[in-house]
Amino acid sequence: MLWVDKYRPKALDQVIVHEDVAQNLKKLVSEQDCPHLLFYGPSGSGKKTLIMALLRQMFGSSSEKVKVENKTWKINAGTRNIDIELTTLSSTHHVEMNPSDAGFQDRYVVQEIIKEMAKNRPIDTKGKKGFKVLVLNEVDKLSREAQHSLRRTMEKYSASCRLILCCNSSSKVTEAIRSRCLNIRINAPREDQIVKVLEFIAKKENLQLPAGFAVRVAEKSNRSLRRAILSFETCRVQQYPFTINQAISPMDWEEYVSEIVSDIMKEQSPKRLFQVRGKLYELLINCIPPEILLKRLLHDLLRKLDAELKHEVCHWAAYYEHRMRLGQKAIFHLEAFIAKFMSIYKAFLIATFG
Amino acid sequence: MGKRDAVVVLSSDDGGDEGEGEGEGALSSSRSRSKPAAKPHLARSEPRRAKKPRVSGSRSRSSSSRQSSIVDEFQFLEEDFNEVFTGAKVTTGFGRSTAKESWVDKYKPCTFEELAVHKKKVEEVKSWFEERLIISKDNLGDHVLVITGPAGVGKSATIYVVASHLGATLCEWNTPTPTVWKEYVHNSNTGQYVSKLDEFEAFVERTRKYGLISQSSAGESKSSAILLIDDLPMTHGNVARRRLQNCLQLLVQSTHIPTAILITDYGQVDSADREARFLEELHLSLESAGARKIAFNPITSNAIKRILSKICRQEKRNVASEQIDLIAKASGGDIRHAITSLQFFCLKVDWPSFSSSSPTTVYDLHFGRDETISLFHALGKFLHNKRESVSPSGKDPHPMQEKFMRLPFKMDAPEKVLSQAHGQARPIADFLHENVLDFLDEEAVDDASAVLSYLGDADVLLHSFHGAVARNYEAEGVVQSAAASIAVRGVLFGNSHPLPPRWHSIRKPKLWQSEKFSLHNKDEMLRQRFMVYNGVSSIDTSVIATEYMPACKWLQHRLQAHEVMMLSTEIEAGISLDDREVKTSDDEIEEW
Repeated sequence: MLWVDKYRPKALDQVIVHEDVAQNLKKLVSEQDCPHLLFYGPSGSGKKTLIMALLRQMFGSSSEKVKVENKTWKINAGTRNIDIELTTLSSTHHVEMNPSDAGFQDRYVVQEIIKEMAKNRPIDTKGKKGFKVLVLNEVDKLSREAQHSLRRTMEKYSASCRLILCCNSSSKVTEAIRSRCLNIRINAPREDQIVKVLEFIAKKENLQLPAGFAVRVAEKSNRSLRRAILSFETCRVQQYPFTINQAISPMDWEEYVSEIVSDIMKEQSPKRLFQVRGKLYELLINCIPPEILLKRLLHDLLRKLDAELKHEVCHWAAYYEHRMRLGQKAIFHLEAFIAKFMSIYKAFLIATFG
Repeated sequence: MGKRDAVVVLSSDDGGDEGEGEGEGALSSSRSRSKPAAKPHLARSEPRRAKKPRVSGSRSRSSSSRQSSIVDEFQFLEEDFNEVFTGAKVTTGFGRSTAKESWVDKYKPCTFEELAVHKKKVEEVKSWFEERLIISKDNLGDHVLVITGPAGVGKSATIYVVASHLGATLCEWNTPTPTVWKEYVHNSNTGQYVSKLDEFEAFVERTRKYGLISQSSAGESKSSAILLIDDLPMTHGNVARRRLQNCLQLLVQSTHIPTAILITDYGQVDSADREARFLEELHLSLESAGARKIAFNPITSNAIKRILSKICRQEKRNVASEQIDLIAKASGGDIRHAITSLQFFCLKVDWPSFSSSSPTTVYDLHFGRDETISLFHALGKFLHNKRESVSPSGKDPHPMQEKFMRLPFKMDAPEKVLSQAHGQARPIADFLHENVLDFLDEEAVDDASAVLSYLGDADVLLHSFHGAVARNYEAEGVVQSAAASIAVRGVLFGNSHPLPPRWHSIRKPKLWQSEKFSLHNKDEMLRQRFMVYNGVSSIDTSVIATEYMPACKWLQHRLQAHEVMMLSTEIEAGISLDDREVKTSDDEIEEW
């Protein structure tokens, strides 16, 4: 088992990083009145961990006995019947799913499946927790229609069902949903917090951890705890005992992106663009999301750029990122951005060096 | 459903052209009189009921009285029709008897000389059948001949002629005529519906096992029979296609009767159309199962001209050679179409009592096929971006800035070219995107940026209707053509320094393959995402792709079973990537 999973805190009390949030959550649940919750924050900050710990706090260890189900839902949408296949994770008390898996049919998922689930009120002899919890991931990827029907569902079935929503950016969740939930922002952990976690793991694993090294891992992690732990474990495999100046290898796809960037900086021509396209395809085939790709590309480009160009390049990156979301084939827009960059950069080179 | 035997229809009067005889079942009684004599001697198991336009093959035998009344009715209708049809003819002094028939049937080829098909191809088909029929029966492994080609190039006619030449009995599977569902229910008293595919499967099954029983019972010598499968049943969806494919493969592997399968291809192999791709796949699978494939090409316009002028002589029409030329060209290698056009043309000329010399001045045909060009031809036009060398003189009413000025095209409006190529917006955009960089000047990065930006605009437009709540097809059509137009014009405009013309290959978009692979990988990841978080929760695929996978690569020797699985898909993806590279280089299609 990976360290990320092995040392994931199981209960709210064990949480190291967001202790204050965890304590608040504990209080919230102990008063037995749980509102709908919306967790948001950057990736690798511990949203999922907190949600799992919260569920455990509410239902005890039975929330950990989950089964994976791949169900086909038959939905009657007026004139036709639609089959939607969706994988859910469920225990006796909660159900977790990613409604955005259903693609553009996500609104049916929200309308029907959630409705159906919420209707089936769990029978609890003690009459204690008379509700089920529904964990929805990636709410920010839901379409606007789906979010609207989610809102209706929340109002209608709030007696029997609590929703826990989880997303990266709350700005892509409609105002209506946000106001119906208790919003909980999970910040990215600070670097010293990451160092603390790394030291904790090192202690458990009986490793000698030089102080400077943990700091360097934390710096490289871009304030994502998951990344930090994963690369920490990678370093452990590569070289042990640790030295302070040990190389921390970046993710392979990031290396690939910086390769692309140096290609772009070296030569600006349609031919080079074509070579770059081949590399982009390879990254896309390995399911690197195009948005992340573009972001990384920009990040690497900016590091090598002259200050006066930065503003313009950022502008175009934003422009093509927007187009990418509107469009269908990411490669068109990624490539358009690179072409634009090449054109700007070439003009700059000619202006500067003649 | 009983009545399967209606399916093995052995027809004598069916035209040499597939699909054409379908609607004319009722005509057969009046038609057979004027049949050319040299016909292959054929057995009929049933009086062509399956082909009647309104009576499905499932009609029960007991209702023959009703059936005959329908036939009568049809004959009445036909008389009416002929009266209308021949109204003009009578004035020209030709008897009704000649007007009864369309020339396509009347001048159906009966000998090798009359076939317009290229001699080599005919010879090939003939010798194949000779080998199978005369020399030896079971020594040769393959008994199936697949003939492909566009519509109206004489695939069926060749088989008929060859069969009659060899004196072989021709047994034929024809796709039963489709009926309206309500009619079907009305006509069939009992039983449940059997799909055409089921019928076909049953037919193939029987032929494989028992040979052609109906034919042997008709007293023919068993030695020379040819099975002709004209027009495969329509299939829709992957399941049905796989069934058809399996069924045909079985047939290829096990039949002992020389069989000819005719497949009409619609000339759209290069498009993203799934139907066309399926047909291509079908050829390949049949060939790999051991079938011999012969591809027929469109008939040359010279051959068509020869046939047409012969018909003119026989009909004693005076048609100028220019006209024949024009008809032959407009037909695009489809001889059936050419003959029909000729017949219609003769009608038209004689309608007003002009002298027959007048049509020589009329070069404009008001009928005929629209001229089409292949997708690759159109793409070549767009990508090469040929322009006039000088801008038109004269004052431009809308003066433009220097940088927006372009020389005029050396071709029709891009939209017209698009419509001639039947270009769909999506594949056009994909193809342009794949290939356009090769056609840009080595230094012109600005052009590349402009072109790609326009292609991006087209992509955005194409996506805008995706998954819209109320699908508005008309609006979608407009958006589609706007997107195609933007893609094409963007490429033409953006490429402001067109290269001098030179040879270039046009590649198939790599995008399609890469999308396929990335989908596949994504599915794999979706399956694995419950394995992290101790199996208690799920995780985003993007996180798996960007963080877990790279880490797992480093940690492989410490991985437990499920993580090894994750890794194996990674390796697999790497392999398939290499495969892909090989494949695309094979797929490179020459432009001209």
